Amino acid sequence: METIKDIINTLTAPEILITLATILLFVSAKYRHVFYTNTVALVLFPAMFVFMAISMFDEDFYLIVTKPDNVPIVGMLFLIPFFTWFSMREAVRNDRRTDSGTPLIEKEETADKVLTWPDLVYTELIAIVLLTVLLVGWSILIPAPLEESANPAATPNPSKAPWYFLGLQEMLVYFDPWLAGVVFPGLIIVGLMAIPYIDTNPKGNGYYTFKERSWEIMTFLFGFLILWVLLVILGTFLRGPNWNFFGPYEYWDTHKLEALVNVDLSDYFWVRLLGMGRPDNILIRESVGFLVVLGYFLIPPMVLARTIFKRFYENLGPARYHIMVFLLLCMASLPIKMVLRWLFNLKYIIGIPEFFFNI
Amino acid sequence: MSQLKELLTSLSPTKLGEAIQKSQIYRSVFRVGVPVSDRKRMLVMLGNVFLHLHPVKVRKSGIRLRFTWCMGGITFFLFLVLTFTGLLLMFYYRPTIEYAYVDIIDLREQVPLGIMREIHRWGAHAMVISVWLHMVRVFMTGSYKPPREFNWGVGVILLVLTLLLSFTGYLLPWDQLAMWAITVGSNMARATPFAGYEGPGANLLTLGENIPLISSTSDARFALLGGTRVGEMALLRFYVLHCVGLPLVAGFLMAVHFWRIRRDGGISGPL
Amino acid sequence: MSKVNPPLRAAKPGEPADAGRRSFFSWMSLAWVSFTASMLAAGTATARFMFPNVLFEPPLTFRAGRPEELQVGIVDERFKDSNQVWLVREGGGIYALSTTCTHLGCTPNWLSAEQKFKCPCHGSGFYITGINFEGPAPRPLERFAISLADDGQLVIDKGRKFQQEKGQWELPGAYLEF
Repeated sequence: METIKDIINTLTAPEILITLATILLFVSAKYRHVFYTNTVALVLFPAMFVFMAISMFDEDFYLIVTKPDNVPIVGMLFLIPFFTWFSMREAVRNDRRTDSGTPLIEKEETADKVLTWPDLVYTELIAIVLLTVLLVGWSILIPAPLEESANPAATPNPSKAPWYFLGLQEMLVYFDPWLAGVVFPGLIIVGLMAIPYIDTNPKGNGYYTFKERSWEIMTFLFGFLILWVLLVILGTFLRGPNWNFFGPYEYWDTHKLEALVNVDLSDYFWVRLLGMGRPDNILIRESVGFLVVLGYFLIPPMVLARTIFKRFYENLGPARYHIMVFLLLCMASLPIKMVLRWLFNLKYIIGIPEFFFNI
Repeated sequence: MSQLKELLTSLSPTKLGEAIQKSQIYRSVFRVGVPVSDRKRMLVMLGNVFLHLHPVKVRKSGIRLRFTWCMGGITFFLFLVLTFTGLLLMFYYRPTIEYAYVDIIDLREQVPLGIMREIHRWGAHAMVISVWLHMVRVFMTGSYKPPREFNWGVGVILLVLTLLLSFTGYLLPWDQLAMWAITVGSNMARATPFAGYEGPGANLLTLGENIPLISSTSDARFALLGGTRVGEMALLRFYVLHCVGLPLVAGFLMAVHFWRIRRDGGISGPL
Repeated sequence: MSKVNPPLRAAKPGEPADAGRRSFFSWMSLAWVSFTASMLAAGTATARFMFPNVLFEPPLTFRAGRPEELQVGIVDERFKDSNQVWLVREGGGIYALSTTCTHLGCTPNWLSAEQKFKCPCHGSGFYITGINFEGPAPRPLERFAISLADDGQLVIDKGRKFQQEKGQWELPGAYLEF
């Protein structure tokens, strides 16, 4: 039992967990005919449930999971995989129908018009009643969280943002506040709103399908499931005192020591590579970083337009194409910076704390 | 004897119901009456301001739970629950440092039906999840595609408003959880480029020679907190935003959102 | 659009045919410009409404006892709760460190065993001098102006900050020789 716990503690380290989850997402999409079926769901979801139930016997696990504010996230842990699985199952079924020439599941009933009263109104009524029962039951069973009265002098350890912002807080480990707290959230909102104007694929409008828009779906699922939901889960359950990583069965020890000494790119370049001191002039010191960042945003769009994104470039036209690639590059910068941190302890690519300008 | 029997029959629930339905009061309120025929079922949808959110007839594929998961409806219902429970909580809660925390404890200990705050808080968490799932459903069915591009944009703003509503509400209990979550969250505003006093570019903005335009008392974070730290003014500002400002904007955008669902051809489906 | 609309009023003799329309449009543009300007002014004024002129927060200057009360190498936490300041005495003098983490404004804890300030929010670590050495904090802790009053007490002025990355720790006031 202890060995299994140790293995799980090791596997849930951020770098391994995020990598494994990404692999799982893409492999399951590749073999979706096998993965998104009833059989897999009948094994997977009960297994998740049993895993949670058995883990509850572990004291440390129990303490984290039953924290009142973490209760909704436990619910989310089941709801989001379930609905992802469900929508993908519908998509696989529809794709199979398209292949064999039978009409889509939705299409069979599109022509049918039914009266809103009673068909829709009653569905809504039942949903309302069930939800009310659920909410009242939940409220009776679990009291809402309330800690001691606010004290500006004592910062709790760890102190966390509301759970739906823990993805942002996790991002703060890798980026400075002006990026992780302001620019990226802004870009997420703008990027989401831009989706309908960038995605000009006329197929897959109003029904579940994977094959006809696999690229769009994989981008969205990667962004939503890995870069948002997984980071929320990571931030909730696996980040303990001092924002250190703790496995699910690990005791939250305030004095756990973790080497957090990170190095800037300018240090790597001037000190370690060239063996000289860092130049005093800020612009010269950070010139490598500026080149890297400029190159990152200028070269890939041009290269991709001629290679794997050729089709996009032709279909979307230059304006749409460049906006799309810019948004994608911003999104990709998070996993890239994560990997750089894990492998090289890289702190800043451009580091100008004098002007609060760190990337 | 027979007269008594006649009186009793006239008092039977059926007869009473009929009598009520014939009364002028009932007919003035419910114009259509009990929707027993298809014609009346259509008229009731047209005549009732709340049911009028829906069209008279809908595509069968569009109302399948398998297709919509009812997530949009659930989100709206949770918003109504939160409005109602929030209104009740406002009767006891005073947004000052002196009373806020005590009032929250009293809401549990001293007020009858002491789960009102629980319903409000859990409902808020549930609403965040249901909004996310609604977004996943709309994306996975490609329902943001033309002609629904604009409504997807409205939906994204509503998603952000849901998070902001939840965030502003987080401070109100004035406990350690609230205070530090908001401290961490609002400090990000300090780093807003140009508008936060520790954001890149802020020290380029000066009045005249070297009077900084953006300082800790004139930046984005200050506008949010009404002070340089999370204190009395911050509590009041968050309270006003939480109870009045943001719900008004959200309600207005919801009206747009629902209206556009109908204008853009109802719940999506394959053409 | 190529069709020209008839003038709104008949042209007077000696006047170009479309002068009436032209003057009408210039009046229109003036109206629109003033409308936009007044809207912008109203918007700015409303935004300014959110920034009060007087702030009811604790005073920025406070007295912090006599310097002899501080011990060399010990972080004095007496003013952490009330004024958000740590006093540190080194061999040569005294400085006042801000207790606000330069990352996201949490309050770090002084861990005397490990001789460092450690922020519980995101794990930033600072040496006793305030220099950041681990975690996401982008720059060292700030120092406040420190001086001696006539009665021999320390005076801390939180209105004046000294930032190491700007080279301000060398300036007079950042450090009290003692």
